Amino acid sequence: MLLVSRENYLKSISRELRLDLLDMIYHSGGGHIGGSLSSLDLMIAVYFSEIFHHKKDHFVLSAGHLCPALYVTLSKLGLFPKEILSSYSSFGSILQGHVSTDVPGVEYSGGSLGQGLSFSCGLALGDKKNTTICLTSDGEHQEGQTWEAAMFASKYHLGNLINIVDYNHYQIDGATDDIMPLGNLAGKYIQFGWTVTTVDGHDFKKIIKAIELAKDSDYPNCIIAKTILGKGVSFMQYDYHYHDVKNLPENLYLRAKKEIENHG
Amino acid sequence: MVKNLSIRQAFGKTLVKLATQDAGIYVVNADLKSSLSLNDFAKKFPSRFIECGVAETNAAGIAAGLAKTGKKVFLTSFSCFSPAINWNTIKQSICYNHANVNIVGSHSGLLSTDLGATHQMLEDVALMRALPNMQVFAPLDAIETEKIVSVIARSPLPSYLRLIRSQTPVVYDPKNSFTIGKSYVLKKGSDITLLGYGPTIIQAFDVDNAKIEIINCSSIKPLDSETILKSVKKTNRLIVLEDHQKNGGLGEAVASLVLSSGLSPKFIHLAVDNRFGQSGKDFQQLYKHYGIGVENLKEAISVIMSLK
Repeated sequence: MLLVSRENYLKSISRELRLDLLDMIYHSGGGHIGGSLSSLDLMIAVYFSEIFHHKKDHFVLSAGHLCPALYVTLSKLGLFPKEILSSYSSFGSILQGHVSTDVPGVEYSGGSLGQGLSFSCGLALGDKKNTTICLTSDGEHQEGQTWEAAMFASKYHLGNLINIVDYNHYQIDGATDDIMPLGNLAGKYIQFGWTVTTVDGHDFKKIIKAIELAKDSDYPNCIIAKTILGKGVSFMQYDYHYHDVKNLPENLYLRAKKEIENHG
Repeated sequence: MVKNLSIRQAFGKTLVKLATQDAGIYVVNADLKSSLSLNDFAKKFPSRFIECGVAETNAAGIAAGLAKTGKKVFLTSFSCFSPAINWNTIKQSICYNHANVNIVGSHSGLLSTDLGATHQMLEDVALMRALPNMQVFAPLDAIETEKIVSVIARSPLPSYLRLIRSQTPVVYDPKNSFTIGKSYVLKKGSDITLLGYGPTIIQAFDVDNAKIEIINCSSIKPLDSETILKSVKKTNRLIVLEDHQKNGGLGEAVASLVLSSGLSPKFIHLAVDNRFGQSGKDFQQLYKHYGIGVENLKEAISVIMSLK
């Protein structure tokens, strides 16, 4: 059970890191903001709860373009100074444009979609004592490799594997339902032999409960987290043009900042 | 009398031997257990034999993750599937992530004879040479296979091991040890340097020419620049022979090395020239057709000797 005080604490971290993320992308000249804002609460739920021990459990960010969310999370954990966030995707920075193990606390370098779940299966198979959490995007379920990995996890009974899907319904060129619909994603995972939970991906109580349940399961677990692209910034929400932003104008930056401060 | 032995059987046997002494050795396979002589391994070490089915891309990711937990992983398939299908997973999940996986691609080259163009992998050296962190090896015969497998099991970098299907002559001196980045002079000569890898180079022993220096370049990456340059400096004539496309093959690697070091020998590259393979019942027939057989080599020798 997540205590109310704990939940409020996570909410305050969410607001703080959403601001860090916005600053980071604004000051560095751009980045993948939409999905980073949709997946941020999932990473906070993982890293700032008791259910995950980042020194022994494994976290794989398969959707490597969501790294801004991971960078602000790891910085908040004290793994590297917050000051370097604005160097994101600049020459010589450890904060690469797609997630990289150059960053303290990052276990997998990625960016080409569909590979992280396979890598996570390998980790889960080789380290059965600990939990492996993979974070995938909905769009990357169009990659066949994800389904090869889904079959594998079931065959090898990887009960210590959790795949959290950041299901924000958008990808770079538009709505996932237009580009290539995923159909009944939960049903597909169930047919592949997984345990599936669907949660509100911005409700800490529900995300953490789902992870707790998943850790007790003997089957590989998929948590489909319904999230909002661009969460917290009204003009970015549900707009796939904010998948990636370049040179956000100052007035929009200030507006976004105000919205997060007031409501986030 | 030179005897023939199977390179892939040597691979399977060596792996069983190594795995008996080292509990960290794993095989990640993509439904080609028998073809890679891994039945014994699978029977003796069922928990260390991971079967991924016909899904080479996932298999490469599994191998990478498993390697990151400290296991010594051999990823096994035909080279026409691995590294051909899963190259980007090898690039990102293995090489970029510093996952120490040994990728074993069997049935390479025209030597897979009757299987035809889809299975005659002629581009694997090019694909794997191009990857940062990746080492590339192609054993001469069954004995060298055993040596290389033992060495790469302990190497801290990922490796690609190019194997072939057929039984081939055993010529490697068992007293020789294999060292990464080292080439071996199989026969000394003064007028022509002949470089190559795998059983293809063994054809050179059928060429009656005392002046040809035959070098086994089983370590394709890293290359042994010292041995190669020393020989080329002496002969000033260089032939590279390989069962692979010209594009991206050893010949290009050696040409780059030689030119960069200021040498400009006469040079002939015998390799498949921008074509697909095809079925054939014996390799001599195919080798002749694609210009990498013993007659082609004899012709190349007379041409290079006549060049002024």
